[in-house]
Amino acid sequence: MKGLSLWQQFWYYLGHNGTYVLQQFNHHFAISVYGVLLAALVGIPLGILISRHHHLNGPIISIANIIQTIPSLAMVSMLMLVLGLGDQTVIVANFLYSLLPIIKNTAAGLDSVSPVSLDAGRGLGMTKWQLLVMVEMPLSVSVIMAGIRNALVVAIGITAIGSFVGAGGLGDIIIRGTNATNGGAIILAGALPTALMAIITDWVLGWVQHKLAPHTAKKAQ
Amino acid sequence: MMAFLQAHGTELIVKTWEQIYISAVSLALGIIVAVPLGIALTRCKKIARFVIGLASMLQTIPSLALLALMIPILGIGKTPAIVALFIYSLLPILRNTYAGMEDVDPILIDSAKGMGMTNWESIKMVELPLALPVIMAGIRLAAVYVIAWSTLASYIGAGGLGDFIFNGLDLYEPDLIIGGTIPVTILALVADWLLGIVERKLTPTTSRGGAANDQA
Amino acid sequence: MIRHRNLKIGALLFSIFVLVLGVSGCSSSTETTYHQPKTLRIATQSSTESQIMGYMLKDLIEHDTNYKVKMVNNLGSSSVSHKALQNNDADIMATSYTGTDLTGTLGMPAQKDPKKATKTVDRLLKQRYDEIRYPSYGFADTYAFMVTQANAKKYNLTTVGDLKPVASQLTAGVDSSWMNRKGDGYNDFAKVYGFKFKRVYPMQIGLVYDAAEQGKMQVILGYSTDGRIRSYNLKILKDNLHFFPPYNCSLVVRGAIIRHDPHLKKVLHRLDGKISLSTMQELNYQADDELLEPATVAHRFLVKHHYFEGGDN
Repeated sequence: MKGLSLWQQFWYYLGHNGTYVLQQFNHHFAISVYGVLLAALVGIPLGILISRHHHLNGPIISIANIIQTIPSLAMVSMLMLVLGLGDQTVIVANFLYSLLPIIKNTAAGLDSVSPVSLDAGRGLGMTKWQLLVMVEMPLSVSVIMAGIRNALVVAIGITAIGSFVGAGGLGDIIIRGTNATNGGAIILAGALPTALMAIITDWVLGWVQHKLAPHTAKKAQ
Repeated sequence: MMAFLQAHGTELIVKTWEQIYISAVSLALGIIVAVPLGIALTRCKKIARFVIGLASMLQTIPSLALLALMIPILGIGKTPAIVALFIYSLLPILRNTYAGMEDVDPILIDSAKGMGMTNWESIKMVELPLALPVIMAGIRLAAVYVIAWSTLASYIGAGGLGDFIFNGLDLYEPDLIIGGTIPVTILALVADWLLGIVERKLTPTTSRGGAANDQA
Repeated sequence: MIRHRNLKIGALLFSIFVLVLGVSGCSSSTETTYHQPKTLRIATQSSTESQIMGYMLKDLIEHDTNYKVKMVNNLGSSSVSHKALQNNDADIMATSYTGTDLTGTLGMPAQKDPKKATKTVDRLLKQRYDEIRYPSYGFADTYAFMVTQANAKKYNLTTVGDLKPVASQLTAGVDSSWMNRKGDGYNDFAKVYGFKFKRVYPMQIGLVYDAAEQGKMQVILGYSTDGRIRSYNLKILKDNLHFFPPYNCSLVVRGAIIRHDPHLKKVLHRLDGKISLSTMQELNYQADDELLEPATVAHRFLVKHHYFEGGDN
């Protein structure tokens, strides 16, 4: 493709391989979402646990912090040795990296519920469980959303690395671009959708987060 | 493990040094650009939001994507890696510098003005020292990110411990993979710990209780 | 108080339970050998060639059988692909090369005779790992030393042996895994040909061709079927001492998969002997230089040669 400029090549590539790129895009997004959802299933309860029993704060957050500091390539490779090649490894990696933001934000959100609201709830005769479900969670949902948003953006980046262990996704296109002749256009075709996926996810979830914030807090945000 | 160290001991040292080198250079560049920029933005609040938003957007870009995008522009090797890592280090440092400077009690800035300090003197002698702990927290965060991502930079020829990991993945040799992942994890944890100490040392005892530095 | 605490612990255990379910549900679905799997996994390496063949197999399998196919891509080398088959992370390996399997995977001494090498590899893979190796696709992808036409003229190079007098002035770019290969790696090469280069740079194989074209390396070790040989007009130096063993390419499948499925066994034979060296170079060229994804190249090839209409070319 000597005669074409980088951008012309890019559009040519998309034109001829569109279905493939779309398949990889969907696969990439799905892997990222699965990991984060699983982390939410585990992390939100853990966050609730921590906000109730502050002595657990130390150990759980420390472990999650250490996981966070492990470079993602290292984590994915080590998981591969245990879980094998393929997308299950990346889903578990995404799960692990999503834990800290979700746990921390859940605990922080619950902790920041004003005592006034709690008192009002108790005054109405709510049980601890009702208090949690009807007062604390709704008031914290925006902060928890921030944690999920953070986690999903990071997960999209980790899934890109997953291509090195056979998980597929847009990383495959990026790798092909680095291996091909004048692969600049192919690198763009892989890197741009990945970047856009992350940026748009960040915007959309940021909007959701804002919408979920309780009315009084919205002005402060 | 002894066999591994015998066969690859020198390589291990060289690659660890390579990784520290590119991380340190990117971080240094990040500090040189982001700290003054953060300070400047406190004087030009209108564009602050835009600039920080831009840096935030750059950081959302997945690391593999950004590193790969450097190839058509800058080729392979240490330079493109340093540029990519520099871009990543911007947001935490910029955001924390701006926030740290903003947090300085306006009363103190007023007293500085009252004492006849120029803008520059006010920054140098009042605001910056007070903002230092928060700035340091941002630098620490950036450092941890940069070290983590510099592992991936091996893919575009920057060297570093990632080489072990990629070779291990290519040949399916668990020894090489572990020989790369463990040192790099230790490197990241040690850097985080050391910088944590520096951060604590720079935090004046009075404000240690409530440093506003949570930017996870 | 106690009820409340139990509730929390219960929520925690439930989450972990769901997590375990989730992870195991997402992993591969081929467990026992008697249970007919619904998804086959094809392992391919990061080379264009491996992916093209892998996607051809995917198209054929999905067209001719009820299986769905999942690709496990970008594996670093044959060793990884074989490991994937052995660990049940994949069912089919798209490209296996006689020479690599012989000395690398099987750890046997090098064998220059292609027929003997193939027989040994086929036999041992079945014996040791229950891996069935199919007849060759029709091409051999061998390691080859290459130079630009300009350097070939400058140093008067036609064969690898011709490099000997000038090797001490030349830098060579090679595939990083070649440095450590046993039997056909750098050290053995130096013994057989009796020389070493001034400096050898191991790098990702995809980058060596660019390095030659940009003049960063005078000699490179690349693959004979790579499309960039055409696009950069590189000259392959003849291996006059026959140092590199034959590298005929074929697919490998786990015995457990085809033993109970004669139809699949037949379908996998559809590509035997159908891809010549020049065809492979052309296909690689389309992927490497004409901006087509291996998946697209594979599909178009099959359509062009009427594979989907029951014909075989």
